[in-house]
Amino acid sequence: MTAMRDPAHDNLAELLRQFMDESPARATQEDLSAVEQMVESYPAPVPAVRTLSTIKTLMVATAHHRRRRIRIFHSAMAAAAAIIVTVLIAQHGRSPAHRPSVTFASILPAAAWESDNPAADDPDFVYFTSEIRQIEAQMRDLETGDTEIRGKKTLDELELELLAMETEFWKG
Amino acid sequence: MYAGRCYGYFYRLTGDRDLSDELLSELFIRLVEKIGSYKGGAFESWLFKIASNIFHDHLRGKQRRRKLLDARRAELELEPDLNESRLSDDGEERLDKLQVQLGRLDADTRELIMLRFYSELSFKEIAELRSEPLGTALSKLHRGLKKLRELMEG
Repeated sequence: MTAMRDPAHDNLAELLRQFMDESPARATQEDLSAVEQMVESYPAPVPAVRTLSTIKTLMVATAHHRRRRIRIFHSAMAAAAAIIVTVLIAQHGRSPAHRPSVTFASILPAAAWESDNPAADDPDFVYFTSEIRQIEAQMRDLETGDTEIRGKKTLDELELELLAMETEFWKG
Repeated sequence: MYAGRCYGYFYRLTGDRDLSDELLSELFIRLVEKIGSYKGGAFESWLFKIASNIFHDHLRGKQRRRKLLDARRAELELEPDLNESRLSDDGEERLDKLQVQLGRLDADTRELIMLRFYSELSFKEIAELRSEPLGTALSKLHRGLKKLRELMEG
């Protein structure tokens, strides 16, 4: 083993000078080199063959146990997924009577539903009701032969309006 | 290859062959268990990070045991056991000179020097592994090497 060697990616002299002055940096390098030699001259014992054999056996057993745990975990996940899918299918396939009630948003204002007389309470209804009443009146006039007078009157009014618009248009 | 280096690292930190056997076994079992968390990069860095954690776990356990033992001794009003330390005068005969002098360094500095020697990692990697600034690691190394050299040459 090359003790205390400086790996290629470690420019020690430069590194030490980033944090120390010149003198301590040089001293540290010398100490490092000296200790490196000392450590090399006192090699540590190596593990016994029996120890390594025991470790290998333990590693194989641990790896086996780990794989088993992973398999159990995957099986459990698959079972959980199957249960969830089954529950979802069961819920989806229920008869309409068992389905949960669905609430829809109303496009009409709540006041219109709550009112006893929407035609009087809602401004839009009041407007349309008056229009309908007017049409009904016109229909009645048609039936009774009153159209000429009313129609003539309406035509006269339209002619006047057109004239006014033309005048305004040419005036710019 | 790695077994010899890791064993040497544990042995130089503990001075105990049986204990180094245990720590080495623990290390390789943890490697198998944690192999999924290895995200590539320097394998030595990952390996010695786990080795360092195992050693620190051992130290913490040892401190807990010592506290329990001291409490028990106090209860029984016994004298402290002076032969307990593996680096005692009696034990020194079994250990080489380097081991004896390493035992005189504080545990943190001893680990830093041995990590550098056995992991063969760069100082930057060692500082990262120990989660400490590079300047701090180099400063500790500077003091530790100086002291160890004095002890060995003295």
